[in-house]
Amino acid sequence: MCASKTQEIDVRGLPPPEPFELIINALQTLPVGECLHVHIHREPYPLYEVLLDGGFLWHTTKIEDNNFLIRICYS
Amino acid sequence: MRTVPLSTEQAPPISVPLRFFISTPLFLMLAALALVPVSDNPFTNIHSLALLAATHSITLGFMAMAMLGAMQQILPVVIASPMPASGIISWLTFLPMISGTALLTTGFMLGKPIFLELAWPLLGLAFITFIGSSLFSLVRSPSSNATKTSILLSILALTGTIALGMLLAHAYATGLLLPYEKLAKSHINLSLGGWVLLLVIGVSYQVVPMFQLTPHYPKWLSFSLAPAIFIVLVVNLISLLLEFRPYWVVISLQFTFWLLASSFAVVTLNLQSRRRRRIADATLSFFRLGMISLLCAGITALANVFVPAFDHFDTLSAALFILGFAMSIIIGMLYKIVPFLVWFHLFRGGIKRGVPNMKEIIPEHWMWRHFWLHCCTLLAVLIAPWWDVAAWLVSLGLLLQGMLLGSGLYTAMSVYRITLRCLEES
Repeated sequence: MCASKTQEIDVRGLPPPEPFELIINALQTLPVGECLHVHIHREPYPLYEVLLDGGFLWHTTKIEDNNFLIRICYS
Repeated sequence: MRTVPLSTEQAPPISVPLRFFISTPLFLMLAALALVPVSDNPFTNIHSLALLAATHSITLGFMAMAMLGAMQQILPVVIASPMPASGIISWLTFLPMISGTALLTTGFMLGKPIFLELAWPLLGLAFITFIGSSLFSLVRSPSSNATKTSILLSILALTGTIALGMLLAHAYATGLLLPYEKLAKSHINLSLGGWVLLLVIGVSYQVVPMFQLTPHYPKWLSFSLAPAIFIVLVVNLISLLLEFRPYWVVISLQFTFWLLASSFAVVTLNLQSRRRRRIADATLSFFRLGMISLLCAGITALANVFVPAFDHFDTLSAALFILGFAMSIIIGMLYKIVPFLVWFHLFRGGIKRGVPNMKEIIPEHWMWRHFWLHCCTLLAVLIAPWWDVAAWLVSLGLLLQGMLLGSGLYTAMSVYRITLRCLEES
């Protein structure tokens, strides 16, 4: 699902809603055609609704306990 | 225990919890007024009318008001079961609550029974509405977790608290002959040890790991603590009402209760010491002060049992529990929850530019000022039974705290209104 160019942010260890704020800020400046890779310490269920409404596709991989990688791309 | 995924789509309108939260500073200021030592130092006698007035202004107007507001948010979001007709229920709880608390406090302050007679039916209406709708929400909730159990038990304790409180206020106003001391003790035990402590425990299971980024509470604690505390409270209530109070029963019950309460404080402090991000945070400091105060309240309460000849251990224990533990936790939660709600409701519905970061909604340095002011007020309370000047300092401290909290919450509301207008115009 991902394009060749990617941006990466690490929001592990930040209290809510800082991870959400940083991800949204990154998405607002994400160039069309690029993807955002997010490292996060819990599965952000409320984010998925916003991604759906915003027309993004995403894929979540559990790396280990308390460590997830979410790949977000334009649909 | 794991935190549960939040059902944020079920959250009520922001006005529902905010009307409760924004009213809380008024009652800190009313308590400050009640404690002005016009003739005598109110802290020298735990039964003084000024202390009764201030205590009820804080426990009902500040603590219960904040807790009722928070519950309207917690029930739909954490246990996925909103209160029925949340808008109407909110007003039916809020209006009698605010008027009833003001009347009760004034009645104690002025020593006028008519105010108490007007207050107790209003408070009864507020709490019966709240208890009924909370129980309805809890019973139909699909989730099953330790938070739900703690909240349910705290609501049951609140039911007993309110029944006894209404009876005591009516009897006090009309001069009815009742065993006041044991009814008052039961009222206090159920309200502080049941309603307040159990609700804080249940909410902490979610809030501490989520917002303070600590490990989760251990399962053995989260599943057994609230039921164990509730059982001790019920046994204590029965022994009080049946007048079966040999010394060993009193000691055993007190010791068990404080052992359980202390285990919660120690585990929470331990989890906080293992948090992922070790950056100073005012809301976390309020929470830690609360836990340390809970431990100190236990020590002074047990000291009161072992050394009953020393007059002021009961005053100290009550002050440490109410101001040190409950008030610290609630202020810390208000400074965390209100900016979060403002941010959440502004952001709701999609990706928008112009929504401020949560940290910009109430400036952190205001929270730190409030934290140090709160520490000074608590210190003043602890020396007030022996030093009359400290009674003035307590009164001044509560007044300033009300003003600081009020301006912080008002700032958050203004940010919400202004940003919402900008978002609608853009």
